[in-house]
Amino acid sequence: MIAIVDYGMGNQHSVLNALRYLGVEAEVTADPEKVCRADRVILPGVGAFGAAMENLNRSGLRAAMNEAVLQRGRPFLGICLGMQLVAARGTEKGLFDGLGWIPGEVRLMAPTDPDIKLPHVGWNDIVIERNLPLFQGLKKERAFYFVHSYALCPQDPAHVAATCEYGGSFVAAVYRDNIFATQFHPEKSQKNGLTILENFAEWEGGSC
Amino acid sequence: MLKQRIIPSLLLKDGRMVKGKNFGNFRDVGDPVTAAKVYNAQKVDELMFLDIRPTAQSREQVREIIQAAACECFMPLTVGGGVRTVEDVRHLLTIGADKVAVNSAAVRTPELIRDAAELFGDQCVVVSVDYRLNQAGQRTVWIDSAMTDTGLDPLEHVKRCVTLGAGEILLTSIDQEGTLEGYDFDYLDEVARAVRVPVIASGGAGRLEDFYRALTTTKVSAVSAASIFHFTDQSPIKARFFLSNSGVNVRV
Amino acid sequence: MGLRLCSRCVTPETHETIFFDQEGVCNVCRQQEYKQEKIDWAVREKELHALLDSYRGQGDYDCIVPFSGGKDSTYTLYALVREYGMKPLVVSFDHGFYRPTVQEGKLRTYRRLGVDVLQFTPSWHVVKQLMLESLKRKGDFCWHCHTGIFAYPMQVSVKYKIPLVIWGEPSAEYTSYYSYDDGPEQVDEERFNRFVNLGITAEDMVGMVGRGITPRDLAPFTYPKLRDLKAINSRSFCLGSYIPWDVKKQSDLIKRELDWREEAVEGVPPEYGYEKIECMFQGVRDYLKYIKRGYARVSHLASIDIRNGRMSREAALEYVKKYEGKRPASLDIFLEYLEITEAEFNEIAVSQLVYPNECEPTKLEKGAELWDQKLWFRDPAAGSEQR
Repeated sequence: MIAIVDYGMGNQHSVLNALRYLGVEAEVTADPEKVCRADRVILPGVGAFGAAMENLNRSGLRAAMNEAVLQRGRPFLGICLGMQLVAARGTEKGLFDGLGWIPGEVRLMAPTDPDIKLPHVGWNDIVIERNLPLFQGLKKERAFYFVHSYALCPQDPAHVAATCEYGGSFVAAVYRDNIFATQFHPEKSQKNGLTILENFAEWEGGSC
Repeated sequence: MLKQRIIPSLLLKDGRMVKGKNFGNFRDVGDPVTAAKVYNAQKVDELMFLDIRPTAQSREQVREIIQAAACECFMPLTVGGGVRTVEDVRHLLTIGADKVAVNSAAVRTPELIRDAAELFGDQCVVVSVDYRLNQAGQRTVWIDSAMTDTGLDPLEHVKRCVTLGAGEILLTSIDQEGTLEGYDFDYLDEVARAVRVPVIASGGAGRLEDFYRALTTTKVSAVSAASIFHFTDQSPIKARFFLSNSGVNVRV
Repeated sequence: MGLRLCSRCVTPETHETIFFDQEGVCNVCRQQEYKQEKIDWAVREKELHALLDSYRGQGDYDCIVPFSGGKDSTYTLYALVREYGMKPLVVSFDHGFYRPTVQEGKLRTYRRLGVDVLQFTPSWHVVKQLMLESLKRKGDFCWHCHTGIFAYPMQVSVKYKIPLVIWGEPSAEYTSYYSYDDGPEQVDEERFNRFVNLGITAEDMVGMVGRGITPRDLAPFTYPKLRDLKAINSRSFCLGSYIPWDVKKQSDLIKRELDWREEAVEGVPPEYGYEKIECMFQGVRDYLKYIKRGYARVSHLASIDIRNGRMSREAALEYVKKYEGKRPASLDIFLEYLEITEAEFNEIAVSQLVYPNECEPTKLEKGAELWDQKLWFRDPAAGSEQR
């Protein structure tokens, strides 16, 4: 069973719909017990960093995820805000501590070209930097759907799984052991996204 | 590089999909759920559902449509029509919308934009602005499905909405809408240049060159269209191949 | 008129889903390179054997073969029965316009192969309205045929619980909705929605036609529900995804083995007598395409020959010039069937011009009448009995 963590920040049901379509068993839950016992954990989310961390801390979901992911080594997928939250620190509307699983900071994207719009909304090609089982089966066209203004900047380049170009390169996916997270929305990226979700449902952590 | 987007818009009325001209003379153009599946099969970039005559009953129909579409279409869905409160926004997000379009409320209760952006993030608040030229040759913002003239200047209105937290602007020329005669190109460009957030062109696309012109000669980030897909042999997939041949950066 | 053509074949820029690369070569030509050079067809055929083995002998039938009597479905049926030892249920959706010699040819194929056949013919009253509506909306009157041919056999598959449905030619042979390098093409609802149904589902059509047409009338044109297909573990693919499709070779084979016969087609040189012989209105369909897109069937057929090294580009261009752009004699019968005038027909066709093509249909010269046109079924009274 995959636990999709519900902490009041967004589109858990889109992720659930996609997994159901793929025939993968999953449940949206706000119950720390269930998150703790899950085989896999998905942290979706849209919205502000600070409010999200506050919800995770207050509900006990942070502790539950720490146990499932760090102690039990359950495969983890963070999506969009869920990727940013795995960072050590967020800088959106104040300074906040993140889950701290990936050393690094979440910063406002700062394209130098004034013609470049923010938020970064739409389909953009990713460049795979790390050969992971999660990317297997992707076709040559590698566009995914993004919608965000902030991006995670990992301290250690070894944690970068994919990058993307938008007025400069930014990190589109991070990876560390059993932790994988994407800035784009696989649940909204049609076939490419479904491929990644399907791979995640089989993933036991680790690279190729 | 970020792709330029083509976004079919589905206008809803009494649970069916309709399309008219200048916000009137609506004709039945299909079933919104199966249409969403068709667009999904054609790998469109996003979909926009706009309820043009929101009522208590249509709200229920919209819920059923979005829920059904979201089970088989894995792409961003924007939903709008009759959104007045933060609770309306939350409701639409819960049933499967990724973004919510706010139109009349952006004029009547602009603080809704701020509140929704703070709660759910800027990225999910699309402000939809309908405008038309008056007899004095000025453009003004119209609301209530283009029935009420607010007298507001569209550019000033757009700027205010962006300041409040709008993440995207859907800009529709009522005069062009449904005519298949082309977008209001110059004005779209003027507005798109004036704001930092993406602007979606809407109203008037009738030929594939209209997409080309909007995406290459103006600063809009996306084009939205309906009639060209409903009333001609064009489809989003054919449009993307045409644009790609013309050197526009779209998904193929 | 000056449409841009592929620098290798003669497909013009108005062909749907065409894309020219830096050398000016179209994506369909590139797909053929991929098909001929990159796909290991020996591996694919092994996969096919394994696939067929896993479905054989499970029920009364091993698979469904949708059948029109044209060269592709005839070859598909032949190969499955004679070469792969399958027991198929043949499902033939009658679009209403089979030519007399093709009717006879179908019967010959059924008898020679010894197969069970299910033939279905939808109501003419419904079909007529669907043809008019789709002609008006998309400049293409074939909606009932496309949707019926692809949806109805899937319904039979669900009703008879025969999970495997095998089609012939993959669409990657002629368009780029799907490409050979994406792996075997699945003939599923996504493909149906991507291009088969012209973007119009049966659910859409109900409201568009109005005039007393209900969802029940459109049942034959409605794709089965995903959950019903999942429940029978539906699998639907093209034989041409597993063996390299070669129309010329295959039509020679069925001529030899089944006495399958060629037939004259309007606007097409006699040596292409194996292509699209089934429908009385193929000439009108090609004519509409010519008005809208500035090219017709000869460009398509000659391009296939160029890709297979059977024709030079110069010879192809000559052919196109000589044969395309004639007003077919069968248009008279078509107009009689639909009860519209030629001026109305032309007005609709011209309203659907695909940029940058331009065309004035009244200026086109008339084509010769097919030898069998006088044998075609005509019943003026049938059209007027409206509900």
